[in-house]
Amino acid sequence: MQFKFILRSMARNKVYAGINILGLGLGIAAVLLIFQVVRYELGYNKNFSRYDRIVRVVTQSQSSEGESWNPCVPIPAMFAIPDAVPELTQVARMREFWPSISVPGAEDGTPPKKFLRKDPSVAFFTEPSFFEIFDLEWLAGDPKTALRDEGSVVIIRSEAERFFGSWQAAMNETLVLDNVARVTVRGVVEDLPPDCDLPINMLASWPTYIAQQALYYYDDNWGSCNSSNQVFGLLADASQLGAAERSLAKVGEKQYAENSSTGKADKTHRLQPMSDLHFSDKLNNSAFRTITKGRLKVLSFIALLILGMACFNFINLSTAMASQRAKEIGVRKTLGVGRGQLLRQFLGETAVVSVLSVALGVAVARLCLPLLKHISDVPVEAPFLSLPQTWAFLVFVTIAVTLLAGFYPAVVLAGFEPAGALKNSVGAVRGGHRAWVRQSLVVLQFSIAIAFIVGTIITLSQLHFIRTKDLGFDQNLIYTFYYNNDSLSVAKLNTLKNRLLQAPEVEAVSYNTDPPSSGNSWMSNFAFPSNAEDADFALQIKYADTDYPKTFGLRMAAGKWYDPSDTMKQAVVNEAFLRKMGVEKPEDAIGEDLKLGGRAGIIITGVVQDFHAFSVHQPIAPLMISTQRDYYYNAAVKVNPGDMAAAARAIESAFDEVYPEQVFEGHWYDETIARFYEDENRFANACKGFGVLAIFIACIGLFGLSSHAAARRAKEIGIRKVLGAGTAGITALLARDFIKLVLVAFVLAAPAGWYFMNRWLQDFAYRIDIQWWVFVVAGAVALVGATLVVALQTVRAALADPVESLRSE
Amino acid sequence: MLSIKNIERFYKTGPLTTWVLRDINLKVSEGEFVTIMGPSGSGKSTLLNILGMLDQPDAGEYLFFDEPVHRFNEKRRSELHKHYIGFVFQAYHLIDELTVYENIETPLLYRGIKSAERKAMIADVLDRFNMVAKKDLFPAQLSGGQQQLVGVARAIIGKPKLLLADEPTGNLHSSQGETIMELFAQLHREGMTIIQVTHNEKNAQYGTRLIQLEDGFVRDDAGVARLNV
Repeated sequence: MQFKFILRSMARNKVYAGINILGLGLGIAAVLLIFQVVRYELGYNKNFSRYDRIVRVVTQSQSSEGESWNPCVPIPAMFAIPDAVPELTQVARMREFWPSISVPGAEDGTPPKKFLRKDPSVAFFTEPSFFEIFDLEWLAGDPKTALRDEGSVVIIRSEAERFFGSWQAAMNETLVLDNVARVTVRGVVEDLPPDCDLPINMLASWPTYIAQQALYYYDDNWGSCNSSNQVFGLLADASQLGAAERSLAKVGEKQYAENSSTGKADKTHRLQPMSDLHFSDKLNNSAFRTITKGRLKVLSFIALLILGMACFNFINLSTAMASQRAKEIGVRKTLGVGRGQLLRQFLGETAVVSVLSVALGVAVARLCLPLLKHISDVPVEAPFLSLPQTWAFLVFVTIAVTLLAGFYPAVVLAGFEPAGALKNSVGAVRGGHRAWVRQSLVVLQFSIAIAFIVGTIITLSQLHFIRTKDLGFDQNLIYTFYYNNDSLSVAKLNTLKNRLLQAPEVEAVSYNTDPPSSGNSWMSNFAFPSNAEDADFALQIKYADTDYPKTFGLRMAAGKWYDPSDTMKQAVVNEAFLRKMGVEKPEDAIGEDLKLGGRAGIIITGVVQDFHAFSVHQPIAPLMISTQRDYYYNAAVKVNPGDMAAAARAIESAFDEVYPEQVFEGHWYDETIARFYEDENRFANACKGFGVLAIFIACIGLFGLSSHAAARRAKEIGIRKVLGAGTAGITALLARDFIKLVLVAFVLAAPAGWYFMNRWLQDFAYRIDIQWWVFVVAGAVALVGATLVVALQTVRAALADPVESLRSE
Repeated sequence: MLSIKNIERFYKTGPLTTWVLRDINLKVSEGEFVTIMGPSGSGKSTLLNILGMLDQPDAGEYLFFDEPVHRFNEKRRSELHKHYIGFVFQAYHLIDELTVYENIETPLLYRGIKSAERKAMIADVLDRFNMVAKKDLFPAQLSGGQQQLVGVARAIIGKPKLLLADEPTGNLHSSQGETIMELFAQLHREGMTIIQVTHNEKNAQYGTRLIQLEDGFVRDDAGVARLNV
């Protein structure tokens, strides 16, 4: 019976019920989407059954610049670890690599099949103990022997299907890695799930790595710490982490002290639990994607704010309309209802609204699932409604919303004194006391909305700043691709360059290690001049040929670019280098020499103007560019404006002609750079989306409140009109109360928005100043929205025929 | 059945004290049909609300079946009230979202009466008031007289000891009003104690006793027979 009653009273108050369900439904949809993101991210790597016992050995370094972390382990340390750390029951040496893969052609002349690398994916050289740490599902092959011999690989099912049509056909077939290493498939395992930081497509045996030393930079010196050389281990018990770290601290202690300029060990090895792999802000993983728990907390907090805002609407409307229910409550009280029964009735009513809102929220969230990719990495196909966790969460949300939205109104309504309630004086007498709660909630809602708008404007301004900032080099019209730098391929580089330059679209071609701005960094200790002591910080290095400045439009501050050379003889430095070394006039540096690592006498021929070697998060650091032909593996091609697709095709066909057996994968450089700011883009998108939602929820709440106020004051409006008040005057009278609240919200939200966005901006070494107009715009958006919504109601009330409203008594 | 001693009720607005009831003493025995009359603002409705435990006096004692109601908390008052008192209002005060049947059923639900028993009780009352055909209608679909019939039905379904009525015919045509008053007279004959507030002298004649209020004091308290002379 109660359910029927609720539906009937909703039908009588369609607009208010609609506002409640729409507001709560949208809020719940946002919460569900954020739940999906948080659940997905928190679920990372749980596919490994020994998740809580798996650790990664990492390196913590100390220098005058502070502490830094790297997942690297020097190869000799890898060999020392199993004996030095008895707490690790299994240890697997691993070397990340990203091979191009092809299936060789047959004797009968069928051409080789080349396969583009899927992103994200990673291959590892590793050893059989890997399978004792990470459980994989074997379709074919034996985990004990599959990675024993040189030239053995294990591939995942989808790659096997891609290369050979079916995984059954893959066993004992041959693949060629990076056009050089011939390997045989000795095992096929099931694909790893997408929420895994080891997006493995292939595992190759450790002896294969040693056999291809040159190709994969195998370097077994204690001084060489390459972030691709990693060690994973398995603890006997998760609680032994501390003990294992203490044992681990002894590994390399002596060697690191010998290698250090201070004579004290500047590095020590630590353990990173698997449970931290996805959430670290210090250490990257093989999927190149981490998200801090802090970010997840911010998202959860946003969800809570949005849901809170929607609940406020419900609270406001229910208490505002309490006077209409006063009679019903009074009657029920004279009929002997208990306070508990009344509370239950009101909570029951809220529960019905919650259930309907959750249903709407689920539908909206389903529809919006594809939008998630704009604010997160969650794939659209990730399970959502099929998960029991999602359903448990829905039940939780229903209960939470019922209590959050329903409890206060229930207490207020159940507290009516029956005698007063029946006289209908409740609205007039008691309503005044309670109005401050409603007003505070409206203020809070608009504060949140305004803060979101401030956030949106500032993130978008910063992104615009980044996009339009002069990075010190050209990023447009440059096409880049990697090539193999084995001696055979290197021998044909000149042919490729000439072939490329013949294409009418191509203006310049440069071979180098990295474009001016990239995620990679090469660093070395150095001395300037050569006979000085080593500086107490490392120098950034890029290796590039003489066409590098022309290709990327680098500008010289003094001197000239170095002469062509296959090895490191001459170099250019940047202006930051001069500032840091205290050289005042660029000309003074020219002709000086510096010592890099152990190599003295590198002559500085010129000073290049500062450019951003990393994202604008980081300040411009001292940098040197020099030649070292056998290090290059990146090609950059500057094309002239025009048909870019045609230019890309011309470049690829030139490549195919020179390297028919190599896989070609090119990228436009400006897109690569844009990807540096993916995170910021997502943050801006989240701000935008949630900002619009926040404003919308706040406005429909205001719509309900103002329409109720207009209805409640219909008689007053009628009397005023009879006394000669104009429409404009009455509209202003009604709107004033609400507009005041938005203004108060602005005063609260502006400093909060400034504080948080200022903190966000601190992450950028190069950033905008927060302008005062940002707040004016944010306030204006909220004010205009609120005014429109309120005006809609109040104008109608003001235009109403006074005879109608006065006749009712 | 009930007795009140030195009941006072007042509102304080700043330094001003507005008296609604002053020094009211009253005893009502079982089976009486009491009428309270008096000009507007004399405190009739407030007195009725206090007797019905919907409002509390600021001073004085209230004994209901020898129980000190003035010392009870809300929960115990609500218990007494639920089991012993029925209310009829001038404005009917039916719940708009409930049908006739459901309105009458509500007090039984609050008393936790079983479904089968409820059905039987409601069927009896509907039958007695000739409202069987209208049981699925909503209040808005009924005339004022019919709504008040539902109001009375709802008030008596729980077989209260005391029926309180605040201007029960105030919003009705005279013929409809008569029907209601006849109903009250019949209930009185069946032994129900009734206290009504009215402006209407004719209605007062259905009662056995008349209390006249003025400015919060009892001005007169006498048997109705004297009025008839």
